[in-house]
Amino acid sequence: MQNNIRQFRPKQTTSQEQPSKKEIFYFDYTFLLVLILLVGFGVIMVYSASYYEAMQKFGDASYYLNKHLFACAVGFVGVFFAYKIPYQIYRKLGFLPLLACIAVILMIIPFGFEANGARRWIRLGPISFQAAEPVKLGMIIFLANFVFRYRKRINQFKIIAIMIGLTLPIFLMVYKITDNLSSAIIIFAICVAMIFVATKNYKWWITLGTVGVAGVAGIVWYIVQSAASDGGFRSERILAWLDLEKYASGKGYQTLQAMYAIGSGGIWGKGLCQSIQKLNFLPEAQNDMIFSIICEELGLFGGIAVILLFMILIWRMVIIATHAVDMHGAMIVVGVIAHIAVQVILNIAVVTNTIPNTGISLPFISYGGTSICFLMFEMGVVMNVARGIKITNY
Amino acid sequence: MFVRIYQKKKILFLGVGSLILLLGLFGRLMYLMIVKSDYYAQMAQELHERERDIKAARGRILDRNGIVLADNKTVCTISVIYSQMEDREAVIDMLCKELDLTEEYVRKRVEKYSSRERIKSNVDKEIGDRIRAYDMPGVKVDEDYKRYYPYSMLASKVLGFTGSDNQGIIGLEVMYEDYLSGTPGKILTVTDAKGIELQREGERREEPIAGQDLTISLDLNIQNYAMQLASQAYETKEAENVMILVMNPQNGEIYACVNWPEFDLNNPYELTDVWSTKLTGGNTQDNLNKMWRNGSINDTYEPGSTFKIITAAAGLEEGVVTPEDTFSCPGFIMVEDRRIRCHKTTGHGAETFVQGTQNSCNPVFITVGMRLGVEKYYSYFEQFGLKNKTGIDLPGESRTIVHRMENMGPVELATMSFGQSFQITPIQLLTTVSSIINGGNRVTPHLALKSEGAEGVTVFEYPVTEGIVSEETSATMRDILESVVSEGGGKNGRVEGYLVGGKTATSQTLPRGNGKYIASFIGFAPADDPEVIALAIITHPKGVYYGGQIAAPIVRQLFENILPYLEEKEYN
Repeated sequence: MQNNIRQFRPKQTTSQEQPSKKEIFYFDYTFLLVLILLVGFGVIMVYSASYYEAMQKFGDASYYLNKHLFACAVGFVGVFFAYKIPYQIYRKLGFLPLLACIAVILMIIPFGFEANGARRWIRLGPISFQAAEPVKLGMIIFLANFVFRYRKRINQFKIIAIMIGLTLPIFLMVYKITDNLSSAIIIFAICVAMIFVATKNYKWWITLGTVGVAGVAGIVWYIVQSAASDGGFRSERILAWLDLEKYASGKGYQTLQAMYAIGSGGIWGKGLCQSIQKLNFLPEAQNDMIFSIICEELGLFGGIAVILLFMILIWRMVIIATHAVDMHGAMIVVGVIAHIAVQVILNIAVVTNTIPNTGISLPFISYGGTSICFLMFEMGVVMNVARGIKITNY
Repeated sequence: MFVRIYQKKKILFLGVGSLILLLGLFGRLMYLMIVKSDYYAQMAQELHERERDIKAARGRILDRNGIVLADNKTVCTISVIYSQMEDREAVIDMLCKELDLTEEYVRKRVEKYSSRERIKSNVDKEIGDRIRAYDMPGVKVDEDYKRYYPYSMLASKVLGFTGSDNQGIIGLEVMYEDYLSGTPGKILTVTDAKGIELQREGERREEPIAGQDLTISLDLNIQNYAMQLASQAYETKEAENVMILVMNPQNGEIYACVNWPEFDLNNPYELTDVWSTKLTGGNTQDNLNKMWRNGSINDTYEPGSTFKIITAAAGLEEGVVTPEDTFSCPGFIMVEDRRIRCHKTTGHGAETFVQGTQNSCNPVFITVGMRLGVEKYYSYFEQFGLKNKTGIDLPGESRTIVHRMENMGPVELATMSFGQSFQITPIQLLTTVSSIINGGNRVTPHLALKSEGAEGVTVFEYPVTEGIVSEETSATMRDILESVVSEGGGKNGRVEGYLVGGKTATSQTLPRGNGKYIASFIGFAPADDPEVIALAIITHPKGVYYGGQIAAPIVRQLFENILPYLEEKEYN
């Protein structure tokens, strides 16, 4: 902010023996390195998982790879710009991001088109994107702005109620209008995480959380019970989750194929590019199911390495959020943490059949242009927040 | 403005919470990839691998001297792989030309989108080699085995044949399927979800284990000669069929089993000339079943006078008659209010039991049967093993059809005594007579001797029931039956230089009075120590129909040829 000093040094170089009062601007190299590793790894895995299908469908083994590389390039430009733009500018937008979110969702109605059986995409001239992705970013910015503006009254019931009242319609709209349960869940989780961090109360949250978990358990129990009586047409997705092999040819197919991939990887994996499940067996191999291909090819170690990278990334963001110079920056980073963490956890949970199947991509690794561009932009914003941190030598 | 302390705590809470959830997934992953790895890997492999069977060479069937009766010849299976073919039209042209198939048939298969499509199997190796020489991509020539019977008709109903998958259909081929079939091998190839083979994964082979060779008791020469005799009798007597069974009475090994007309084992689904004139009309499968039927085992008949051997043995064993006992035959006998005639209506007059047997005199045997009574007669019937199947190692043996004891009155007893009013199989008669003349040991007639394969040799053993008649009765029976041939009705069975025992039979088939007969003769030699027993049955002969006239000469001719041969071979 002040002086625009362009002197960055890694944290490690700040020695405590230096008694000077000189301020050094923080730049998180670990964070950037992990990000580059994830994106680079993603490129390799997208190619490995997609070349066979690309060859069959388009006669070009690198069809998906090229599109993915282009998205990554755009993404890195996004990182650079977001890093350069002082995040304080976003707070001037006020409630505008909320309106923008509503506008994007409503654009589905005139401009939307269908892909893979769901109307989730918007086409504007040469550009097409998935409607839910900008909404995630928009909601993060909006909530951060809101919390920052009402920071003094943030624990008042009225303010909390307004916050909930303004965010609730968004994920309902995402769910209903774009017919995208997965994105609605992610947006919901981002909002919950941000409001949770902003407000002081624990008791209410713990109560809500308990009620939520009990509610979900109740629903599952109800579905299983009613399946026993009416033959199980109601929610096959849940039933398939509980007994994959019984629903192997229906709702359980994709997850079961993912389990085959993961299981057959074993500890060491089959080797890069050696997956067989990607040969038309596993649908969406380069997309939502890419983690299972990683496990099949690179084994338990590959899978663990990916999870570890995400853990480091999340932890670095926790450090940045807790050290952010103001509440606005911290809230933005909290939103991004929630976004990344929820997507990673849900994606791996789906692939390992820990939860029922729902289409969620693995951040930075899965094929998908919109997702990667917005995620990278968010990373840039986080780096900009980090840039504000002043490391003072004591 | 600044981040509040509680907010920092909550951020940490959030971060730590996420890490804990990720660690949970970590654990889940370890569970799936270590504990459940084998389970899912196995299922995945089953999903990925397509298997092609490699047929195992079926075990051969050898006669007792090691001559191959059922063999394998190499044939080819022609198939196409859709994704590998380059010029489909050329493939269609070539296959039509070489395999002599219609274009429509070939086109349908060549243009079908499948991983592998079979065009034709059982193609001669020569044609297969020619197709291979075209070297067209996507056309596969797989070598395969097909059953081949070098003697085509020889013992067709005994050996049986195999189906398109080389599985036994009838006869020994089905009876010894487990020994003969072997274990097929496998070629396992990894494919993608559409079934396209992946070159990089290579293929895994499980080698087939060849079936075991089965050595059977048939003697090619005896079978062949018996077949010639049967076909001659069939032609000259215009009979419905002619059966000849030749067995070793001491152990039950069958030397020959002829059921003329036989059929061509190499074309079992085509009616042979003899059969196609016989079987006109009717449905094809029924006709084939008739053609394949082994009458000497699958069908029963009224044995007639040959069965007097059994009545005589029972009477002697029980002591109700001795060879010297005298009888008087007026040409009939009254049983209750029924008058049962002797075949010699003028009567045989006074005769001893031995003479009665030589004359095949019905009243004599009815008298012996009456002396025994229903219960005794029935218990001997059971003791001789006539109620049970012989246990021969061929499929579909028929049961004896006989009155229940409580339904047997004097008339039924009388008719049974000379071999009527019940039915047994030819093999049953042969086995029972063997047991009576061999010293009283009920043997199990059989064909398979041993099975020999890579895993070793299995020698088959068959049960023997000893003492169904005493040695003494057995010796007496041999003497009496020898006299039947040397002095009585069986004189056409005499063979110069050998003592032959035997008994003729001429029985009218049901309904009585239709003029149809079954002529038969059962003979054994040497009469004092039998080494071979033979039964010849001519069903529905035209012209002369007496067993002693037409069946006995068959056995004589057979014995004339095989007795010196058997002496030389020493099969015992």
